[in-house]
Amino acid sequence: MFSKILIANRGEIAVRILRACRALGVEAVVAYSEADRESLAVQLADEAICVGPADAKRSYLSAPAMISAAIVTGCDAIHPGYGFLSEDEGFAEVVRAHDLTFIGPPAQVLERFASKEATRHVLGAQGLATIPGSNGMLRDDLHALEEAERIGYPVLIKPSAGGGGKGMRMVRTPRELESAVKICRSEARSAFGDDSLYLEKWLEDNRHVEVQVVVDRFGHGVHLGERDCSVQRRHQKFIEEAPTPALGEAARTDLAERAIRAVVAAGYENVGTLEFLVDQAGNAYFIEINCRIQVEHPVTEMLTGIDLVTTQIRIAAGEPLGFSQADVVLRGHAIEFRINAEDAEHDFRPSTGVVERYLAPGGPGVRIDTHLFAGYEVPPFYDSLLGKLIVWGPDRPTAIARSLAALEELVIDGLTTNVAIHQALLRNEVFLAGRMTTNLVDRVGAGSFLAAAAR
Amino acid sequence: MPARKEAARLADHRQILGLADDLLPALIAKLGATGLAELEVSEGDWKIRLRGPVDGTPGSGRAVGGRSSRAAGGHPAEPGHLDSGRSDGHRPPAEPAGDPYRTAATSPAVGVYHPRAEITSGSRVRAGDRIASVDVLGITQEVIAPVAGIVGAAMVEAGDAVEYGQELVWIELITAPADRTGREA
Repeated sequence: MFSKILIANRGEIAVRILRACRALGVEAVVAYSEADRESLAVQLADEAICVGPADAKRSYLSAPAMISAAIVTGCDAIHPGYGFLSEDEGFAEVVRAHDLTFIGPPAQVLERFASKEATRHVLGAQGLATIPGSNGMLRDDLHALEEAERIGYPVLIKPSAGGGGKGMRMVRTPRELESAVKICRSEARSAFGDDSLYLEKWLEDNRHVEVQVVVDRFGHGVHLGERDCSVQRRHQKFIEEAPTPALGEAARTDLAERAIRAVVAAGYENVGTLEFLVDQAGNAYFIEINCRIQVEHPVTEMLTGIDLVTTQIRIAAGEPLGFSQADVVLRGHAIEFRINAEDAEHDFRPSTGVVERYLAPGGPGVRIDTHLFAGYEVPPFYDSLLGKLIVWGPDRPTAIARSLAALEELVIDGLTTNVAIHQALLRNEVFLAGRMTTNLVDRVGAGSFLAAAAR
Repeated sequence: MPARKEAARLADHRQILGLADDLLPALIAKLGATGLAELEVSEGDWKIRLRGPVDGTPGSGRAVGGRSSRAAGGHPAEPGHLDSGRSDGHRPPAEPAGDPYRTAATSPAVGVYHPRAEITSGSRVRAGDRIASVDVLGITQEVIAPVAGIVGAAMVEAGDAVEYGQELVWIELITAPADRTGREA
């Protein structure tokens, strides 16, 4: 085991990692920026070190600052949390070069899974379905028509050189295809200087389902079930739950088992999450793997009783997993609500200010992971996540009832939060029926959910 | 400020600068070396009083000038390592309101502190002068004098680990802040 761990992150996850270190009896140093001098993690820490100014590029995103901080405080490992440096394989490599351990997959594993395209190829070869697409680039109109016919409409035309959704066009019929390809080519040529296009099947009204895996250094891996993260706004998850209401028990187990088999075969190591799009027919298509602890990991912890952060640290220290798939029991239902400092009534505008009053909810199955305290000033430099409320119940209706009670109890004065949208969704029939899709909140508009709940 | 003749003011300024050049560096070095809390010297119409760092431990190296360590939960400082739990969230700004006569040069990064051999207690520096460096994974980051003045007591020692923004060395101001000039005379 490590003797001392540098926590290279902030907010609620810095507090969460600090707690994991204490549970393991490992010393921890909280690395913080000038803007986080008053943060809860710094206050709770036995040792803390200022690594740079508020600007994340010079603090939480600065590999030299973090590694230097680890060295001067005598740490032998760095926990990157999520975001910031957590998925930077270059950082992991430099950490290793300084004889420190990166808590996550080893650099060579991160490198193997760094490119989404390569990862789809690697895990596709291990039996995971990926989103159907054209074989290579589209040569001409005839080739485009043939490929679209084979994949099945609707299809998405994507520029090879693009990214982040730029220059894509969805087509529902062969008649639209020809002109759309022409437009996409000229757009791609002017935008990226490369007019190669390919096709991908357009999945309408899909759900986001992800499988949590843990694999030790000895190739012993287990899955910890899945999570449903279909409640999103502009691709940002804000409610996550498990089990997914989208799939029956057999389908869930099958998906999780295929996922763990594929990643073990591909040589993955440490905790990880495989993200899938699930279509209306229940087909799951692999999209990407997240090689880090995720924001929504407590959902799985509530269901399994397994501490994912201590597990992550133990695996990075070279310890064997210590439990097998048969030991993993998924009990009941858990829902996580991301509490953000943002105004749902005004297009989710981020809000900053001082927390004048803070009261945490409680009761059976209620957990809150947060860095909030009364008097805390939310700095304007980072994301708007204030904390996560995680509620467990023996079944989904009980978890929902407890969630409504907990959200009612939660008091955060001085800031505008998104609690109202959570309450609205918990009373919405689409959510209650377990039929949320990733595009629903954006399509319907958060305002409509709020208005419907107010009636 | 009382109305004074321009010539008298200029004469005063010349005298102040003369004192600063001749006397102050020696006095500051003396103060740093002896660990005295205060030194007072009179010459002609002028009286100069120098005060050491507020907790009276000039040059002792650590937790000086308001960087209070947390009382509970801290570990004893290891050699070459940072004091634990130093961030109690109440660190005063680099120029404490109560002491307008000096300003601390702060660390530009987290790393290991190296003073420059030619810059010692008593050296005269201009704003922007490189007075020391912090080694960050083998890359040198310069510690810059924030104001013109005389290098005073150091709050860290060569080879100490320092964090970003940490106060390293006092710079004693040669001229008092503008609003005080003249009033002291």
